[in-house]
Amino acid sequence: MSNNPVWRESIAVFFVEGHGYQVYFYLLAILAPVEFLSLYVPSLDAQKWSGSASLFKVCAVTLLLLLIYFSLRVANQEFAPWRFKPLKHWLREQSYSAALVGQAQLVFLSAHVALSLLLCAPLLVWAGAISRTPLERVGVTFLLLLFYGLIYGVWGLAALAMWERRMENRQVFIRCLFVGLVILSALFYLPVNPVAFVLAYLGRQELPPLTLFDLSWSASSIHFVFHLLFGGAGFALHRWGLQREAVL
Amino acid sequence: MAAALAMVCGTGLWFASANAEIHIEPRVGFRGVFQLGRPFPLEIELSNSGRPAEGVLEVQVWKGGATKGGAPFAVNYRREVFLPAQARKTVQLTVDPDFISRPLAITFSSPTARAAKELDLRRYFTPAPLLLLLSESNLLAPLASLTTAPQSRMVTVSPGELAADPRALLGVSHVILYDQSMRDLSRAQLSALDTWLTAGGKMIIIGSINFALYQDAALSRFLPVRVTGTRRITFTPPAGKDGRPFALAGVLAQEARLLNGKALTEADGIPVLVEASRGRGRIVYLALDIGRPPLSRWDGLAKYLQTLLTPAVLDDAAPRSEWNDAVFAQLVASPTFISTYVPFGSLFFAMLLYLTGVALIPWLGQRLRLTLRKILIGLFILVIAGTVAGYVQFNRGGNIPDGVLLSSTVLESSGDGYVEAQANLALFSTQPRPYDLRLERGWMELTPVSNRVRETQEPAVVHQEGGGASRYHLPLREWDYRLFRMRLVDRFPVHLEFEVQGDKLSMKVNNQSNKDLFNCWLLVPGQRFDLGQIARGTSWSRTFPLTLPKAQTETSMARADGVSFRDLSFADKTRDILFHSSYFPQGGIDVRWSSGAAVFFGWVKQPEPRVRIDDPRIQSQDYALFRAMVPLTHGEDE
Repeated sequence: MSNNPVWRESIAVFFVEGHGYQVYFYLLAILAPVEFLSLYVPSLDAQKWSGSASLFKVCAVTLLLLLIYFSLRVANQEFAPWRFKPLKHWLREQSYSAALVGQAQLVFLSAHVALSLLLCAPLLVWAGAISRTPLERVGVTFLLLLFYGLIYGVWGLAALAMWERRMENRQVFIRCLFVGLVILSALFYLPVNPVAFVLAYLGRQELPPLTLFDLSWSASSIHFVFHLLFGGAGFALHRWGLQREAVL
Repeated sequence: MAAALAMVCGTGLWFASANAEIHIEPRVGFRGVFQLGRPFPLEIELSNSGRPAEGVLEVQVWKGGATKGGAPFAVNYRREVFLPAQARKTVQLTVDPDFISRPLAITFSSPTARAAKELDLRRYFTPAPLLLLLSESNLLAPLASLTTAPQSRMVTVSPGELAADPRALLGVSHVILYDQSMRDLSRAQLSALDTWLTAGGKMIIIGSINFALYQDAALSRFLPVRVTGTRRITFTPPAGKDGRPFALAGVLAQEARLLNGKALTEADGIPVLVEASRGRGRIVYLALDIGRPPLSRWDGLAKYLQTLLTPAVLDDAAPRSEWNDAVFAQLVASPTFISTYVPFGSLFFAMLLYLTGVALIPWLGQRLRLTLRKILIGLFILVIAGTVAGYVQFNRGGNIPDGVLLSSTVLESSGDGYVEAQANLALFSTQPRPYDLRLERGWMELTPVSNRVRETQEPAVVHQEGGGASRYHLPLREWDYRLFRMRLVDRFPVHLEFEVQGDKLSMKVNNQSNKDLFNCWLLVPGQRFDLGQIARGTSWSRTFPLTLPKAQTETSMARADGVSFRDLSFADKTRDILFHSSYFPQGGIDVRWSSGAAVFFGWVKQPEPRVRIDDPRIQSQDYALFRAMVPLTHGEDE
């Protein structure tokens, strides 16, 4: 991967030139005050222990929203877009294969999600310790966050491959996708919503199963099947977009 | 050859019955009757026609529901049972369903066998309490009509059928004894009867010619008299509607000497009708042999016996303390309840340090021209070190327990050395874990108080260990809680006597209990007196003025409203909350007190815990308040 020019370009723009630091700054700058205030503010009220009790849930949900939002934006090259060479350059002028470019973009997205989680890990683990959340639940929450970061982030790559030259379209699409699937989906069917699923998992609650044609599907299986299909569709669209760009 | 054949046959038979075969035969209540809404005995006969089986007998009942204002939830009663091969075993449980529209499910499960049976309880209930008759004599036709309510059921039982758990008798209003030996009762049965009696049961003991039965320790422990023999007397029953008194000559009666209680009727120098109280219960002793002539032939006997069932003075139910989510919300906010772990100070500094480190490493990397790999390694080390150090600090910090069990009890004096203990329990958990509540013997009722999380809980399991001992197994999530109410009647010999003497109130105190009372107060309408501490063994007598000083009288149009419990406070915040919100809630006892009653109360030092959890990680807090309320009428005392 170190010889992949697309990967090296992303690393250089984000970490050597420092254009990507702002993403991690935003993550920490939002998560840390949310965590502190959700512990401090309830302590002023009568049930002062309620802040400690729900601290991990609050932090996990905040990080989930931030992680998905920034994964979409990073994958969509919204940070320092002028520093990234267009796909036309890699695919047609440099004659790199669509698979090579797609792989580099996917690996960079994974690296971003992993680094985001790594940087936020202390805050989340401390919240887990204060709220006395069992370690295995903290661990599974990290895995869920990684999963959502990748599944939703891949749609940022798909948008980039589909409408590379229409930046405004991509931005609008990504924000609609975020609002629709991460927030509004809770209004239609709760088990599909990642926030509801994380809260239900941490609260040890069973979400309602889906019954279709006398067949009952558990909420967990519906949730994961939906997300795997959703992520798979994004991945396929990304690949198709890159190949289309290569043959144009 | 024969031995080999026998061995082959034996092996064949053994394989044929390789598993235990269990048959369940339940017996509900007392001869198939129980009072709806009260606990009742459930006797389950397990017969095993196969291999030995060691398993768990479980009975599932339903509680909550519409009548209790919540969702229905299951409670499982559990007993571990070993069934030898080809054997029968009878297991006695006390079950307490709130509603009976769902069947009671009995299951026995072991590695080698499983059996189940469902029971529709609708066939067995009666809405009114039961009357149990214990009598070896069949001369008691008049007793058959001895019912106060049309739905009341009198059930004749043998001593062996009496439950060994006092809770199983809660659906019984009266136990009637006539010509019955109690010698065969086990200690547990006698203790259950005793506990039921002190908790509010009523026992009617009718004399017979076999006076030796009444001299036996098992029966004499309940008698308010000492029986010495029999003789014939002339008995004059109370005048009927026509008002003409008449006498029955030659009535067979037991000779007896009064020990305690009050002789309501005497004839020929012997107490004929004696009434005694025990705790909240009542014992009525009738010295006459009603099963033998001439009394057995008397037309008015049934009516006369019915008068024994109605109490001379109606019981005044003790006011209940408040116990709900609102009271608990105040308790949990109190710093004395739990060292609530809100480390916002240390979290702030930990965040500051970590964020500074995160900002510093890339900056240093650029200044020192370090490679990206080295910067990432530095960040990784910072993250790991920060995560571990913070986890250790925040996980151990505060030293909070896994849970807190708070027991808050009001000991309501019933005046004869007994108290009715209303214990309110709160179990608060900071960890997802199970809890085993071990209840002290003698408890009568344990009711869960509805709260918002109850519906989502796994079913509670009650382990009944025989003789009324029980353990409640409850799973709780982190930062979750459950509230319960418990009731029992116990000995607590603090004797108080009040007497109104004109405009003064004379009060005598004798603390014969093994507990000190502190922060004691006497409240009379418009005034209150700080009595300080009443140590164990203390006895004193004092007089208090019932009239207000002149200056106060002028401004006391609503005298009772002028002074209230509201402004009393104690050194401990939890005591303050319990006192004001639970024991003396606004609009509760204030009303009774303002209408002219003396109220005495004092906190019990180091009260006995009514419920335990044998785990050092669970913090236990016990509070108890002794309370006596006496109406202030001239010449009345307690």
